[in-house]
Amino acid sequence: MESNAYQDLTPAEGLSGKQLRHLVWRSLLLQASFNYERMQAAGWLYSILPGLRHIHKNKKDLSTSMKEHMEFFNTHPFLVTFIMGVILAMEQNKEDRNAIRGIKIAMMGPLGGIGDALFYLTLLPITAGIGASLAIEGNIFGPIVFLILFNIIHFGVRFGLMGYGYRMGIKAVAKLKEGTKLVSRAASIVGLTVVGGLIATYVAFNVGYVWKSGEAELAIQTDVLDQIMPGLLPLAYTLLMYWLLKKGRSPITLIVLTVVVGLVGAYFGIL
Amino acid sequence: MLVEALLIALWAGIVGIDLFNGLTHIHRPVVTGLVVGLILGDVTTGLIIGGTLELIWMGMVPLAGAQPPNVVIGGVIGTAFGIIIGQEPTVAVGVAIPFAVAVQGLITLFFTLFSPVMHKADQYALDANYKGIERINYLGLVILFVFYALIAFLPIFLGAEQAATYVESVPQWILDGLSVAGGIMPAIGFAMLLKIMMKTEYIMFFIIGFVLAAYLNLPILAIALIGLAIALYDFYTNKKGSNQGPREEEITDGI
Repeated sequence: MESNAYQDLTPAEGLSGKQLRHLVWRSLLLQASFNYERMQAAGWLYSILPGLRHIHKNKKDLSTSMKEHMEFFNTHPFLVTFIMGVILAMEQNKEDRNAIRGIKIAMMGPLGGIGDALFYLTLLPITAGIGASLAIEGNIFGPIVFLILFNIIHFGVRFGLMGYGYRMGIKAVAKLKEGTKLVSRAASIVGLTVVGGLIATYVAFNVGYVWKSGEAELAIQTDVLDQIMPGLLPLAYTLLMYWLLKKGRSPITLIVLTVVVGLVGAYFGIL
Repeated sequence: MLVEALLIALWAGIVGIDLFNGLTHIHRPVVTGLVVGLILGDVTTGLIIGGTLELIWMGMVPLAGAQPPNVVIGGVIGTAFGIIIGQEPTVAVGVAIPFAVAVQGLITLFFTLFSPVMHKADQYALDANYKGIERINYLGLVILFVFYALIAFLPIFLGAEQAATYVESVPQWILDGLSVAGGIMPAIGFAMLLKIMMKTEYIMFFIIGFVLAAYLNLPILAIALIGLAIALYDFYTNKKGSNQGPREEEITDGI
């Protein structure tokens, strides 16, 4: 069985405020290499990379850590600094790698949802609404007021959460020193509960086809599939993907397959 | 027109990056309206069209991977055509939307085509080659810049009508299909997480999370809190078991 501990288990020297602020600037490129296979993974690794290099002087450990931070990652781009802070605190203390992964996944989903609600559904409509109403009058201050209001909060959140997450991570890590196995198990429980919820919430797979016979109409999605189980297709498709991955199929194959499903579905008007 | 088209292309490239990176929101139509207005020498019209487009795009935000019509190209092309043709803002919107939808299809394609690059990134990570990881991210930025700059430049340089015919020549089912595929795509990411995390003893928690979302429509935060509650219960039950007896527990809690 593969070991889940780092080779060098001596806690690393802490990150300075300056180093943390540098990482916040890097987090602006979280989605530079966005793609459907890993989403923000490479950008996430880019954001925390100087921190990891500071923490893992052992090259094997740095390689292990980098490899694992290339795994699928997706969250809200403003709130990501909080996760960065917590995860760097854990890395610094050379926590069990399963625990680090579990915590990372457990946080990314909820923060994604919170971020959408806070920023795209609240902050943006309010500030852009003010800006647009001025602009429509031909007032040049419309865009300026919008940018200032929006970014004071935007950057305040990014910088504030980095420090907060890091300090919280250090404290929590000290408390949870004993029983990393239990922590890692607990993190996996939260992580998998969240993944179960994410599948039902964010995989958009609906059949638009309506079966007609004379007067009778049968909407396949609402009258049949949803009656069997809501979220049936997202779950089934995800499990199919899971099964194909376990069979050794590459994610690229799955992406191509999904594009074909979308095109065929749209061509025949089924999806 | 060449100088103006080039300047607008430059702006489109910069704000195309801002749409996903930086996120200072200079890519919103209300800002683009002002800048394109400055470039084309009609600030007031630019502001008015930008403000109008802003209100239309206000509800169209990138929620959880579902991509709305592209706000960058919508804002740039809409404002530029509105000023050049001298039409009402509403007409500018009519021109902007098909472009924005088509561009979003191309973006979906780009996010798909960029996936294989991740395997290169895996190799860099394994070699602890941090420069390689950085190059891959910069490559993404360069592609986005060139892509948006080209898309903005061509229709403005070639003229509105010419460009509109190209967009209309793409069959609707291809645009629809790409959009449907984009909606299903997160399933692959989640499957990869399952492959890493799933063990038989954890299946029950996965089922709980799914049911809470699918049947009860609970938000992800609520589901995470329920997961946390279960995890805490599990944690303290197991901890007690391993510590042999509640007495010691009380003492450690006290310290």
